[in-house]
Amino acid sequence: MRDMDKNTYYIIAASTISHQDTFGKTGFSDSMSPVVSPALITPDYKAFIDAGLLRRMSKILRMAVACAKDCLAQAGLDQPDAIITGTGLGCLQDTDKFLNTSLTVEGLLPPTAFIQSTHNTMAGQISLSLGNHGYNMTHTQNTLSFEHAMVDALLLLDEGEQHILVGAADEHIEILSEITTHLGYKPGFPLTSGASFFIISKEKRHDTVARIADCEPVAFAQDPVAKLTRFLDTNSLEISDLNRVVYAVPGNANAGKYKTIWREAGLDPEKCINYLSLSGVYPTASAFALNYAVDLISQDRSLKNILIFNALRKENLGLTLVQSVEA
Amino acid sequence: MDILKEDLKRQIIEQLNLEDITPEDISDDNLLFNEEGLNLDSIDALELIVLLEKYHGIQVTNPDEGKVAFRSINSMAEYIRKRKS
Amino acid sequence: MSVRITGIGVVSAIGFSVAENLQSLREGKSGIGKITYLEDSRPFLVGEVKASNADLKEKWGLDSSHISRTSLLGLHAAKEAWGENKLNSELRTGIISATSVGGMDRSEVFYKDYLAQNNPEYTLLKTHDSGSTTERIAAEMGITDYVNTLSTACSSGANAIVLGARLILQNKLDRVLVGGSDALSRFTIDGFRSLMIYDDQWCRPFDETRSGLNLGEGAAFLLLEGDKSIAFSGNKTICYLSGWANAADAYHQTASSPEGTGATLAIGNALRKSGIQPEAISYVNAHGTGTKNNDLSESVALKNIFGANIPMFSSTKAFTGHTLAAAGAIEAVFSVLAIQNGLVYPNLNFRNPIEETRLTPVTSLQTDIPIHAVLSNSFGFGGNNSSLVFADHA
Repeated sequence: MRDMDKNTYYIIAASTISHQDTFGKTGFSDSMSPVVSPALITPDYKAFIDAGLLRRMSKILRMAVACAKDCLAQAGLDQPDAIITGTGLGCLQDTDKFLNTSLTVEGLLPPTAFIQSTHNTMAGQISLSLGNHGYNMTHTQNTLSFEHAMVDALLLLDEGEQHILVGAADEHIEILSEITTHLGYKPGFPLTSGASFFIISKEKRHDTVARIADCEPVAFAQDPVAKLTRFLDTNSLEISDLNRVVYAVPGNANAGKYKTIWREAGLDPEKCINYLSLSGVYPTASAFALNYAVDLISQDRSLKNILIFNALRKENLGLTLVQSVEA
Repeated sequence: MDILKEDLKRQIIEQLNLEDITPEDISDDNLLFNEEGLNLDSIDALELIVLLEKYHGIQVTNPDEGKVAFRSINSMAEYIRKRKS
Repeated sequence: MSVRITGIGVVSAIGFSVAENLQSLREGKSGIGKITYLEDSRPFLVGEVKASNADLKEKWGLDSSHISRTSLLGLHAAKEAWGENKLNSELRTGIISATSVGGMDRSEVFYKDYLAQNNPEYTLLKTHDSGSTTERIAAEMGITDYVNTLSTACSSGANAIVLGARLILQNKLDRVLVGGSDALSRFTIDGFRSLMIYDDQWCRPFDETRSGLNLGEGAAFLLLEGDKSIAFSGNKTICYLSGWANAADAYHQTASSPEGTGATLAIGNALRKSGIQPEAISYVNAHGTGTKNNDLSESVALKNIFGANIPMFSSTKAFTGHTLAAAGAIEAVFSVLAIQNGLVYPNLNFRNPIEETRLTPVTSLQTDIPIHAVLSNSFGFGGNNSSLVFADHA
């Protein structure tokens, strides 16, 4: 069934590797407690990635390729029409490694880390793993990288493509914690790694539960509440119509302000969740939030409207509206 | 046992991060770049050039020269001995 | 389905403006030479923009020390492309930049001190992430409606142009500055050297004896406008972007396939989208990096598409060096200039054709010839291939 409605983009597969037990699980949102684990919970990568490629892959590449392959398996697809990724900081492990080598080693430098340091290594490795010749894109706009990747994916569907693999990933490395402290940034939650990938399509499947109704990255967001009101208005909604708000606000500085807004709109505080408490903090954690929202809907179809409100960085605002699909 | 060849096997495994392979898995005449061998590629060839400099003090300036030298453990050992003699 | 181009701006090793770049291209004057401005005393050949960070900051009246060279170069080119245009709340204005290194030039300064435990300046890292490069340019120009950065290695600049065109055609934006910027860094110089594809001589694209690239730096932007914006600005259309495509080679992490699979797909799909027949392409501005692998693979792709009738073609990288994410944007500006001025630029340093493909690029400046349509190629690591078609008609 192909829906010609412009604002209908079905999520037909979703996969996340995080510090929580999310990979290969449905219903993980039910029993989720705040993230404490210092490490990723990973599958056996050998089941997803060719050994020849795997031996060179950093954390971010392993996560991304495994999630991508898992999505394709869920959707029963051999190939997506396009591969679009978002990443805030890119392949940090290899960047750090090559920077280090470049500044300390005399003589010849091993090239592998350099090759894999470019931001598009993820999308490139996915295309290489699949033998995919389609559109291949990488967006990097710090905390809005995933939203920008999603907007690109929605554009492609409107241009007539069928199935888009879209996702995001970021990886934590040691030096990040040190830098964060020195820059006086207080994330309020552990710094983590994570990857989430999706297949979106205009075609609904029998088991499709959720769709993206709208997605908007906002730069230099001076008045986030006004932006939110306008965004919801475009979608004929008010804050009080939201069944869940899944939001990101770092630390405690601004969380109170938003909690007040949700409460004053009449939302039950229990239904407004700071997703950073679940995912931990990384630039593209809003991709985790999307999988979380999809999982919530899979457990309860009455959740008609879920807003992902990404204010992880105060200059940026990501707004994504996820809706349940009637069975 | 040829110590140079055994060293080479260990160094290759480390340099190329061949996680599941032990020196015993590599025979001296295995074709390194062949699918039946280690199935290495052009990036590995560059890493092997780094290996030669790092462990054996040998500089290869022309990557094409490497192609011949890196056929197998035997050819690598032969190349190293020739360059050092 | 073409999109109007109404403004262009460029800064590269061969000049600080469109006019200066054009003059160097006409005079066959390369901007490649020994490292002068980068803090690196090694004797490598690079295409540097001939200004220090302090010079560039002073020009734009910036005093903060925390701006990366990538942002400075990008701002310079974006301002030229923007020209006298005014922001207007009725028009949705965006900017899409491309970069591969972001603020790496500042990060490596930090990292050196960090490793030496020499009181490193952590605030230098605030300009590290690629997105901040574009945000800084957008902030200086007051552009807020859409701010995004693409990073697909050496094809990034071309991809930013494609995304901008799609956003205009789908009526998401009224006008958008699209382009790319990359500053030279020790990181990228060492990276390409580690791949053994950095030529210590002048790079020789498409020549049998080619042995690698020379890195360059720079930035370029184009202003794309939709109908509503044109009605407001009254800007004259200087050229049209009429076709584009991106395709993955899916062959190898760094090497291009010997059959030119991804490149052939990109060129073929871009031509199809433009509706322009291959024989109507007047000039091909090739990716032509000067590496053994790229130039051979690109030659094969050109033969796949054009058969025996290959249009005049040249690589301009022997003028500018390979400017990575900026390359697709700089060469897009050069393509527009070729159409505007009836020019085909020489492929410098060429002597003998590649044995396998026997293609000979244009080696001397061609003037006063009608150039109606230009194909520009940009191919990157990870098998990311993009082609753009520019035309003098809609």
